[in-house]
Amino acid sequence: MATTAEGFDAHHDQGHDAHDHADHKPGFFARWFMSTNHKDIGTMYLIFAIIAGIVGGAISGIMRVELAEPGIQYLQWWAQFMGGANDLNTALHMWNVFITAHGLIMVFFMVMPAMIGGFGNWFVPLMIGAPDMAFPRMNNVSFWLTVAGFFSLLFSLFVPGGTGPGAGTGWTVYAPLSTSGSVGPAVDFAIFSLHLAGAGSILGATNFITTIFNMRAPGMTLHKMPLFVWSVLVTAFLLLLALPVLAAAITMLLTDRNFGTTFFNPAGGGDPVLYQHLFWFFGHPEVYIMILPGFGMISQIIATFSKKPVFGYLGMAYAMVAIGVVGFIVWAHHMYTVGLDVNTKMYFTAATMVIAVPTGVKIFSWIATMWGGSLSFKSPMVWSMGFIFLFTVGGVTGVVLANGGIDDNLHDTYYVVAHFHYVLSMGAVFSMFAGFYYWFPKMSGRMHSELLSHIHFWTFFVGVNVIFFPQHFLGMQGMPRRYPDYPEAYTFWHEVSTYGYYIMAGSMIFFFVNIAYALLAGKKAAANPWGEGATTLEWTLPSPPPYHQFETLPVITDAHDYHDHRPVTA
Amino acid sequence: MATLPPVTDDAARRNLRTGLMAFAGALAMLGLGYASVPLYRLFCQVTGFGGTTMTATETDAARAASLATGQKISVRFDGSSAMGMPWTFRATQATDTVTIGERDIATYTARNDSDQTITGMATFNVTPEQAGKYFNKIQCFCFTEQTLAPGQEVTMPVLYFVDPAMLDDPNMAGVEQITLSYTFHRAEDPVNPDATRTN
Amino acid sequence: MGQRDTRMKMAFLAAVAAGLAAFAPLSVAAQDAAPAPVAAEAGQVEGAQTAPGPEALPGNLTPTEAAAAPAAEGAYTPMAPTKGKGMPTSYEDDPLKSMTFQDQYSANGEYALWMHDWILMPVITAISLLVLGLLLYVVVRFNRRRNPVASRTTHNTTIEVVWTILPVIILVMIAVPSITLLARQYETPPADAVTIKATGYQWYWGYTYPDHGEIEVVSNMLDEAEALKRGEPGQLAVDNRMVVPAGVPLRIQTTASDVIHAFAVPSLWFKMDAVPGRLNEKLLTIPEPGVYYGQCSELCGARHAYMPIAIEALPPAEFAAWVKAQGGSMPGEAEAAAPAAEETAAPEQVAALTAR
Repeated sequence: MATTAEGFDAHHDQGHDAHDHADHKPGFFARWFMSTNHKDIGTMYLIFAIIAGIVGGAISGIMRVELAEPGIQYLQWWAQFMGGANDLNTALHMWNVFITAHGLIMVFFMVMPAMIGGFGNWFVPLMIGAPDMAFPRMNNVSFWLTVAGFFSLLFSLFVPGGTGPGAGTGWTVYAPLSTSGSVGPAVDFAIFSLHLAGAGSILGATNFITTIFNMRAPGMTLHKMPLFVWSVLVTAFLLLLALPVLAAAITMLLTDRNFGTTFFNPAGGGDPVLYQHLFWFFGHPEVYIMILPGFGMISQIIATFSKKPVFGYLGMAYAMVAIGVVGFIVWAHHMYTVGLDVNTKMYFTAATMVIAVPTGVKIFSWIATMWGGSLSFKSPMVWSMGFIFLFTVGGVTGVVLANGGIDDNLHDTYYVVAHFHYVLSMGAVFSMFAGFYYWFPKMSGRMHSELLSHIHFWTFFVGVNVIFFPQHFLGMQGMPRRYPDYPEAYTFWHEVSTYGYYIMAGSMIFFFVNIAYALLAGKKAAANPWGEGATTLEWTLPSPPPYHQFETLPVITDAHDYHDHRPVTA
Repeated sequence: MATLPPVTDDAARRNLRTGLMAFAGALAMLGLGYASVPLYRLFCQVTGFGGTTMTATETDAARAASLATGQKISVRFDGSSAMGMPWTFRATQATDTVTIGERDIATYTARNDSDQTITGMATFNVTPEQAGKYFNKIQCFCFTEQTLAPGQEVTMPVLYFVDPAMLDDPNMAGVEQITLSYTFHRAEDPVNPDATRTN
Repeated sequence: MGQRDTRMKMAFLAAVAAGLAAFAPLSVAAQDAAPAPVAAEAGQVEGAQTAPGPEALPGNLTPTEAAAAPAAEGAYTPMAPTKGKGMPTSYEDDPLKSMTFQDQYSANGEYALWMHDWILMPVITAISLLVLGLLLYVVVRFNRRRNPVASRTTHNTTIEVVWTILPVIILVMIAVPSITLLARQYETPPADAVTIKATGYQWYWGYTYPDHGEIEVVSNMLDEAEALKRGEPGQLAVDNRMVVPAGVPLRIQTTASDVIHAFAVPSLWFKMDAVPGRLNEKLLTIPEPGVYYGQCSELCGARHAYMPIAIEALPPAEFAAWVKAQGGSMPGEAEAAAPAAEETAAPEQVAALTAR
């Protein structure tokens, strides 16, 4: 493993300094609460995302158990637990609160913090040979804003929100349900939580853009950056351009709610449909914000375990740029039934289908990367291959939904739920597990159990498919989204879906046991545990890397080819 | 701070500049978010997007009348009252057949069924949506707020014409009837935004 | 009825390809696709009132029998739904049917279903299997044991061009019927279409018939036990249905009173948001009499799941009888009864407006 490191002078310095100057850490409070170190902040983001994921996943468990059979089973109990009244409407309101909380938590407090905050913070500076992020203190602010946002959202669950406690508006917070339709402070706190998380993400995006543009090691041109860095760069731009629009829209919601403005209130000349346009102008890029860093991770991992450089590096990088750009001009496909005229709907149908092209380029390039490779099926690799297949399944149902005329039947049904869980709960989440197993030895200095991670993979794979595949059937049969109760005819597939949840939840035990095992008894990880395929700069550093790395910057020369920064002569 | 890695002044300045530029981009998008409210309204008013009707002057009406070919179109008049609006509001006549290009008048009646004076504001659109561009209102009760005393009933006119340009628009081919729809809302009480809430 | 020329050309091509040409022009579809007893009456709602008939309808007629039976004034009995028609199918009843779309009962629905089943499904299944097959192949062929030395190929212009162009071609192939479908869905209702305005409320639907003497139907979900007693599916059955004539074009308009709702009927491939302060409109023709269920499809608060939609399509004669029973009148009479008063009222009103 040391062979890969020898191309770099920087690392030799690191090795000597590791235990005196470079690894000097501040005290506990200063280190974790006033942290300015990108690796510590990344770790905190990952821990935060895992906690949020447990909360969001538990809420989905409540929902799946409730949906296992028709009728209202447990919601009344939950309504009272949250401090609501013991009547049917409050119970039904709790359902809306759960779907809202599940969506917001998973999007803003699980996927985004893990992908961008966690892996982005940890590995962007390492991969470009930078000592830290450009604005380390702002990095800290970003993290704590996200945490504050999470608490604001949790707090909203316990305050009045109209028919019962909590915000029951759906993660989309459509007006006028979120304005005149929801009395009480819960929706205000939920909106405020988005403000905080959004502000944190905008600061983070600024930080990443500056870091990637200005702090690359000498010789690391944009076209030599690892694809994960490319993916975070594109994501940062999407965040920077999309989130402020959401911020504006939800601020207008807040003033409509509390200060008598009528931005989205028809009574004062406002238009509720405009809110949807603004929300989805943010919301569609948001979908790519959640998946692009995953694309980046998958590219690194596939290359590593195929012992091959990534196929079509430039195509891969610019496919992400293309997806990001096109992502801004397709938003109204989320609003096909709102009352668009025929030309608008035709345009959005056509534009949406265009996205399939760069996405296809990526899928096929990953397979081409494996083609002719020497594949070893370590845990990150199996998760990545699972990702490729399941993301394809989620992607092709996206092509179905892109057709405005077909969407007339599928809009707001379980088909949509199945579609976006295939791309997120299987796409984004599989890529996060892949990334986690890939970098866990680097971050912790300990090896996890390959056996447990493989069991985790297979049980999780079966579980999520059993949850979400039958939801396609439900959607086609007409089962609407966001329903706590349903006609008898839908029972069977709902029941199957709930069994899938149990499998998936059981599978997570292997994940947590694996982490515990690795931290307590795992083998010490070498600088590069994955062998010659792992060529990016983070593998030139010890595991875990010293508190400060690259005090002497590594130099990347022309001898390093695209993506893998290994001297060709080595 | 001692824990920060050393950064040269030059690099710090460069970072600050890039960071500020990125942040300015975010601020611009924030501004665009707010600006979208008037821009969207303007966009709808100009293009008729979403079935937004046009506002015309007497001169426009005269010009349209001069282009009238005698072809007819059916116009439907629809009226709704939003939640919390205790008015009975409906068109005097459900449909009418008018000559394209010639101005016509339609009337709506509104009666305040409550025991308090209420100010209302009407929103409107036409269907099919592509007709918005061709549906011109010269005068309309929807341009201003209306106030009705308890029990008061008024008849309110709309003076409109359908632009003959619609005959040349392929998107309008086959449109046999245009519906003009109004919804009366209780004008927002700035002190109590929840006034329209019934629960 | 008028069609958009260029789109209709495409529509025609695709329709021929689909073997569905019979559904192209709506007025024709209304006559051809409807069962024989209804077809004769289609489009002639006005004449229906004079239809003679027995005094009462038996309660448990099958739709066909009901369709054949001439209507009587004031003798409306809700039609019994047909199992598996206009409602979801359970796995226990038919595993395969429970895994796909509901049977379609509108021309656009059949076209959309055809497009899904014969264009989209084959394409997406093929792509998914291709990716799965390639993954399995590389697992078998290029694993570490069989292929210890990795190649260093990172470029192949030909293959890269192929996998960019090929998806484009497939997408264009999808886009043609997709655009055709959209064009058909946006055909506008004729001037004499039967107009029904569906208004969403928290949490029920109201249906008004502006051309039928302002009939207003308030439609609440039936209690599950009551629904089963009436032989209807629970959570889909309502106390007062939206009754429409079968085989004639309907102008469905939606709006909402409080928050956004959505009017959706899966077996008619119909979904349209009901937005407060705004009216949406869409053409719908239901060739066959029957009961077609749907549910609110936009989150509208606590009882979102409990505001179903039930459309009962009746032969026009029976629809006319239903209108009578509701105290309404058919359009012909209404016009005779209400002479155009607005023309005379106009001048003073204009003056009043200008003074304001």
